[in-house]
Amino acid sequence: MNQTGNIASAYSPPFKIVAKYFIAGIIAFILLNLLLLFNYEDIGGHHFQPKILSITHIATLGWITMIIFGAMFQLVPVILEVKLFSSKLAEIQFWIFAAGIIGLVYKFWHFNSALSFTAPAILINLAMYIFIFNIIATMKSVRTWNLTGTYLAAALFYLFVTAVAGLLLAANLDHPYIRINHLQYLNLHAHVAFIGWVSMVVMGVTYKLIPMFTLSHNFKLTLAKIAFVLINIGLLGISTIMHYSETTIFYYIFVPLIAVGIILFLFQVLEIFKKRIRKKFDVGIKFSSFAYIILGITTLLGTVIAFIDYQSIINLTLIYGYIIIFGYLSMLIVGQMYKIVPFLVWYHKYSSKVGFENVPMLKDMFNEKIALIEFYFMMTGLILATISFSFQINQLLLVSFFLMLISSVIFATNMIKIFWS
Amino acid sequence: MDEKEKILNILRHVIDPEIGINIVDLGLVYDIDISEKEITVTMTLTTPGCPMHGSMPEWVHNMISLYAPDKKVNVNLVWEPKWSPEKMSDAAKEQLGM
Repeated sequence: MNQTGNIASAYSPPFKIVAKYFIAGIIAFILLNLLLLFNYEDIGGHHFQPKILSITHIATLGWITMIIFGAMFQLVPVILEVKLFSSKLAEIQFWIFAAGIIGLVYKFWHFNSALSFTAPAILINLAMYIFIFNIIATMKSVRTWNLTGTYLAAALFYLFVTAVAGLLLAANLDHPYIRINHLQYLNLHAHVAFIGWVSMVVMGVTYKLIPMFTLSHNFKLTLAKIAFVLINIGLLGISTIMHYSETTIFYYIFVPLIAVGIILFLFQVLEIFKKRIRKKFDVGIKFSSFAYIILGITTLLGTVIAFIDYQSIINLTLIYGYIIIFGYLSMLIVGQMYKIVPFLVWYHKYSSKVGFENVPMLKDMFNEKIALIEFYFMMTGLILATISFSFQINQLLLVSFFLMLISSVIFATNMIKIFWS
Repeated sequence: MDEKEKILNILRHVIDPEIGINIVDLGLVYDIDISEKEITVTMTLTTPGCPMHGSMPEWVHNMISLYAPDKKVNVNLVWEPKWSPEKMSDAAKEQLGM
């Protein structure tokens, strides 16, 4: 057999490392929903509140970023056809990151406790620097570069900006020194995190995975390239302008640039879907396509918020953040996990058995019916939460959070089924 | 049934676990060359950077080796000509709803 035979197994990092990140992410997802459910009466009003900040960081660090780290350790080597620089660093990074998150989340919850904000923020920063170093070192040996690689490289830069901004904000909470406005820097931190770090990864990976899952061919990535330029100009603008007190240019130039960039990305996704060969949407693709629609809605909402006095409209930023985290990102992560995790487990357990014994198909590795129930529960929960926040109906919020918790438990059950299959 | 046809039938047991269609009907097998001492399969994947990159040629290699243990088996993974949906069998197209 020729040399090509064993390349994939040489590229992929050890399964247990990726699994560790995924398991931690899923635990955070359930915890996040439990905390929302048991504290539903405290979720409302201005977003700068201890419990909301605490839960937000379980979501962004414990759930979303944890899953992205695990996925990138797996996908970067496969997509860029190169071996991960260090699995050992990935392992070390995990524990530092987990300790940092627990510390930060605890401190936000117990806002007035004697602990410092800076210490856990330093741990989280350290974990992220290790990650950035590991992936850049991996990318250095890439022979054939592609657009996904460019998006991922940009994402690493914004992860760095987000981490540093987070650290400065944490230090400012311990010993106030920021001269302009804490919330303005929070705005920078949040938008660079969601658009620069998370969405750059989402977009880059989308161009590779969605065509693979839907068997889409013969599309051009022109819109993806334009989107990249527009969003990056916007993000670099935000990262600069937020250091000054005069931010008008942010609203009139950078926000529209980013919004147009995201809309172009969505048109690119639409083109990929139109050229697909697999017509039927399985549950993973259903979740994902719904998430793209939500991204469109949040982009429009975000643009509107930039031009109005959002502080005067009750819960508007909360609605905005909730839809981004639970509608766009959680739906997308759940959808992609239903595609990626069965493959990883299958590859780990059955790849060597093909031809020698019967092996399952990926869709047989979890219960697609209850995954569909999860899909409808999440959708309903999302709509109910939006209504509850808008009209301040607390009882409805309770129902919404309950549905979301059930969804996360269904998701975890299916993931356990896949791991044990 | 000639030798080539027999090998194609064996390769119909190599199923893409994601799509649920075998590699012959997917049109991934471009050529099978049989000589006295060697069997060489030339094949592709639906897309470069596919996670199946290493596994599928390995499965093909294993299955043909089981069938013809006394022959050397070569699997060449090629990207030209590029795979396209037209290369699929009618049965595969129908299964995908084309």
